Amino acid sequence: MNEDAAPFNVIGKPLPRKEDRRFLTGRGRYLDDIDLPGTIHVCFVRSPYAHARILSIDISEAEQMPGVVAVVTGEQVNQWTAPLRMAPPIDGLQPMEMTTLPVDKVRFQGDPVACVVATDRYLAEDAAELVLVDYEPLDVVADMFEAMKEAAPKVDDALSTNLVSHQTFAHGDTAARMRQAHRVVEAEFRSHRQTHLPMETRGILADWDEGRGHLTLHVGNQAPHPYRSVMAGRMKMKESEVTVIVPDVGGGFGQKIAVYREELTVAALARHLKRPVRWREDRLENLSAASHARENVARTRAAVDANGCLLALELELYEDFGAYSFYPANYLARVIAMILTGPYRVQDYAYDVKIALTNKCGNGPMRAPMAITSWIMEGTMDAIARDLGLDPVDVRRRNILSENDLPYTMATGETLEDINPAEVMEKGLAAFDYEAFRRRQAEDRNSGVYRGVGICNVVESTTYGSKFYKAAGIPGSGHECAWVKVEPSGAVRASAGVMATGQGYETAFSQAVGEGLGIDPANVAIELGNTDVAPYGMGSRGARGGTAGGGTLYLAAQAVRDKALAIAANLMGLNSAERLRLTDGVVQQFANDAWSDTELTLADIARVAYLDPTKLPDGMDPGLETLKAYDPPAMTYSNLVHICEVQVDVQTGEIAIPRYLIVENCGTMLNPTIVKGQQLGATIMGLSGTLFEHIVYDENGQNLTGTLADYLVMSADKAPEIEILDLSTPNQRTPAGLKGMAEGGVMGAIGAVTGAVNDALAPFDVVFDRHPLSPNAIRAKLRSKI
Amino acid sequence: MEKAAITLNINGQDFDMLVEPRKLLSDAIREDARLTGTHVGCEHGVCGACTVQIDGRPQRSCLTFAVQAVGKSITTIEAIADGDGGYSALQQALHEEHGLQCGFCTPGIIMTFEAYLKENPDPTNEEIRDVLSGNLCRCTGYQGIVKAVKVAAERMRSGEHQGGRS
Amino acid sequence: MKPGRFTYHAPESLDAAFGLLGEYGDDAKILAGGQSLIPMMNLRMARPDHIVDIAAIPELTGISENGEQVTIGSMTCHADIVAAEILVQRCPILPAAAKFIAHHAIRNRGTIGGSVSHADPAAEWPLIAILLDAEMVVRSSRGERRVQAADFIQSIYTVDLEPDEILTSLVFPVLAADEGWAFQQISRRAGDFAIVTVAVTLALAPGGTIERLRLCLGGMDVTPFRLNDVERDATGKAPDATWMEEVAQLAAASGSPESDMHASIEYRREMAAHLTKQALNTAIQRCRGGDG
Repeated sequence: MNEDAAPFNVIGKPLPRKEDRRFLTGRGRYLDDIDLPGTIHVCFVRSPYAHARILSIDISEAEQMPGVVAVVTGEQVNQWTAPLRMAPPIDGLQPMEMTTLPVDKVRFQGDPVACVVATDRYLAEDAAELVLVDYEPLDVVADMFEAMKEAAPKVDDALSTNLVSHQTFAHGDTAARMRQAHRVVEAEFRSHRQTHLPMETRGILADWDEGRGHLTLHVGNQAPHPYRSVMAGRMKMKESEVTVIVPDVGGGFGQKIAVYREELTVAALARHLKRPVRWREDRLENLSAASHARENVARTRAAVDANGCLLALELELYEDFGAYSFYPANYLARVIAMILTGPYRVQDYAYDVKIALTNKCGNGPMRAPMAITSWIMEGTMDAIARDLGLDPVDVRRRNILSENDLPYTMATGETLEDINPAEVMEKGLAAFDYEAFRRRQAEDRNSGVYRGVGICNVVESTTYGSKFYKAAGIPGSGHECAWVKVEPSGAVRASAGVMATGQGYETAFSQAVGEGLGIDPANVAIELGNTDVAPYGMGSRGARGGTAGGGTLYLAAQAVRDKALAIAANLMGLNSAERLRLTDGVVQQFANDAWSDTELTLADIARVAYLDPTKLPDGMDPGLETLKAYDPPAMTYSNLVHICEVQVDVQTGEIAIPRYLIVENCGTMLNPTIVKGQQLGATIMGLSGTLFEHIVYDENGQNLTGTLADYLVMSADKAPEIEILDLSTPNQRTPAGLKGMAEGGVMGAIGAVTGAVNDALAPFDVVFDRHPLSPNAIRAKLRSKI
Repeated sequence: MEKAAITLNINGQDFDMLVEPRKLLSDAIREDARLTGTHVGCEHGVCGACTVQIDGRPQRSCLTFAVQAVGKSITTIEAIADGDGGYSALQQALHEEHGLQCGFCTPGIIMTFEAYLKENPDPTNEEIRDVLSGNLCRCTGYQGIVKAVKVAAERMRSGEHQGGRS
Repeated sequence: MKPGRFTYHAPESLDAAFGLLGEYGDDAKILAGGQSLIPMMNLRMARPDHIVDIAAIPELTGISENGEQVTIGSMTCHADIVAAEILVQRCPILPAAAKFIAHHAIRNRGTIGGSVSHADPAAEWPLIAILLDAEMVVRSSRGERRVQAADFIQSIYTVDLEPDEILTSLVFPVLAADEGWAFQQISRRAGDFAIVTVAVTLALAPGGTIERLRLCLGGMDVTPFRLNDVERDATGKAPDATWMEEVAQLAAASGSPESDMHASIEYRREMAAHLTKQALNTAIQRCRGGDG
């Protein structure tokens, strides 16, 4: 901890969560728990083909089914709504325009073409089966490299090619370094297609008030205000005519940010039919037609000296983006390329990033969109070690940023500060007892037991201030907004523009407000998710909730505290509030070298502020509330190391994880229990992706993994126990020294477990460069060796 | 088939409802009895979010038609805490051990383990993880849940915990 | 994903059930535990017009034993088989295998009769039934017939059951007190469908050679199958490491396994060999009084 920082009173306490009560007792209010009288239900008719022209749609039989209220196709829905134009001014990015529902052709299996509305979902599904769509199948492109070829079928006919985005960058002179290098080490990394899989699927309940011309949308979403702005635009309405209310959300992980076409269709139907309309996504839809992530191929070339020090790094990166662009196509890959070098020293860096459209479900940011960076860097470090016959830890030691290197400006221009990668790695290695492990590993190999260790150093980019977006050419802001209000009775309410999907904001943020204001967090009510209540903010994504949300609330609370103490000083006849503070809602005064309670409480001050304003200092407005905005630094970084021990059964290919250790620096923690929960959840998600998950399309673009029996996620019997050690230091630039976190775990897990498996199987001279690391895949590589 | 008038006994109370035979028990509990604590995550029996107890035994309500549950005694999450809001030992432990985040999978896990711990009062971590493998959680990484079940089991064995109607 | 419409029947006697099945024939499906049927109906991959729920028919549940055999009602759920003391004593491979089926909550509803009639190539009960030459008791309005498991389970999802027949009970031989057994399975996670399963019973003669071997493989073909030649040749042999290796290789080479997203053909064959060795070792330990 920074010795200069005063200890916090309530920030940093491991308080159990306030929100637990309703979740534990089954009294949460998730989207599907909300009932509006007269609600009708939709079911989408979806394409069975990956690529096909829509010749005709016959809705006549479906319309006549009992219980059916309406059946619509893209023809109508596209008139009621505006198309999406995805065209940020970024070099190398082709603009794309997409109507709400397709009318000319479908682009992936599951693409919605019509919508049935009925009195219940069962009837809607019955009627959906009777909608007759005449398709003319077209050639399918289900591989990104095929998609980039000249003769490939075009996914979006308005684009010149399927290469929707191509960006390059160079800093320094990588070519010269390659020529000068002792060795040029090449490595490849193939990340497979995955999906977010929140336990609660998507959905929306749209409520149209015909009298007021107002649309209220109940929807699980991480960024309610931006969502509302986009919805209003697409619905050709004013923002003031739309309210978004986010209820309890059963997980998001990045899947619940963009406006989806289904949601827009439902909103338009509600307005057209003048009744509340609900869509509940089922799991089949969620796995095949929501959003996908992480299908990348990365190739690195590392110029190194004889000691394994990095002289230069070149990255070739490809992404299979799917058929539609609900985010700018360069968006996900860009952050990979920009922060790739992470905790390592290298200035001569170049990248070439190509994004291709294919006939698959479109991509979206999934918890740690940059996740593969750590696997790529650690895998490159391991490749260097193998190539030069060096110890992989020594190679890392020679390249990792240490205290002397910081602040460090990366080749891509971002400055790393307030991180301690070298210290964190050393602490991890010591706690793991790396030397002892190597001895044990050697002994065990003699008896045919194959253990391995994987080390993954991570620099996690979080929070993303406005300056980052500007520098990256991505439209949008990184600021956040919060208000804190003290009511006349002294009750405290607070709100910010972020939205929880399980991260415990109600508790953590009440600690931020409690700290800033000087009251017990139990007495703070946090209100999030209603756009009529919460101030306009950018929402929860990119690990910004703590710093942007919590940080802005902390600042707002401090501002309210300052006003409250100014009022108190005035009431006490003092010249200034210098020697006053609020502790647990009581005004204390410093006199005779000690703090002691006065008679005044926050409630007293509030009563005066609202009901007795003549007692206020001259010129001060009545009331006790404030609205504050905060724009975080361009980037705020956390750093961590994951050290994973595996044992591979070379007969069956099964992997056991006997030990898993994390050392992390995530800055000031609002609530360490909640932080630990995030670290554990992120790590298991990363391990799950690397070992089990896989969205599989065949060459005809048919999705073979549409149920949870096919798309496997890590269950409790396979999840390891994880130890976490803390080496946190505060950020010097942010309120309360907060940093973002909660994505680093995914990054660390992918690299650590892959490295561990490669280390375990080193005697067989096999290297895994692709996932999932299923027993079948492991045996396939070992088959010729053992 | 036309809707049939049936009565389901849920948490000791009779609910009269008009349902088609194909209506899943999960939907009947949520919509007709208006008990929304039981959640629907997959409708193919894998995720476990919809787990309720029927005659005291955990079962997937998404793999049962409502008409099959007539004459049985159904228990859902709403019945676990006692009337005064007192948590069961398991609920208390989940709260203390941070065994939940978004809460969507939580009721299914509680209904599974409330029954399991009655039959198996002293499970090992491995046994807990084996039973828990029937409930998917995307948020917690399972560690806090396993710890909570262990703590709850210890407290139930020692008689330390009061409260709850598990 | 909601199921399509159907007419629901809940007969309370076998005769009533036979009547319904006779009337509706191929348009009807028997609803046992529903743990395989209802997911398929929810996905609309199964669309029966009539559902005949046989849960209320009293003679379909229950476990009894008569010294040589145990009889298990077809509607007995997997959880009850796991817990049945009589089976733990007289035919322990049954409760042991049942523990591998899916998860706790599924086992409280899924039934042995439903599982065997469904004949999923990866399922536990068809394999155990074939291993032990269980007898299927099939009844209809025409009377009763008994079918050997290997004849009953014909192919993937295909059994010898007429539309108007009901599998009412399964009769398994008990294991001898000193008969060893083993049930080994490999799957991605606990409760997932097995990739390959090997089940063994093994009786040794007083001199320590093999008196009788039964070995059944699952996941290696459209149905589980016995290694009949291996079993016959095993009698009189010493159950040593060389013999086990031979059997393992024969197991690996048997059947006609298919490739899918979780396992290639080669992987299945390798696992057949691996699990066979494990199963034989475990069975022998049990013969000799160990816990296996």
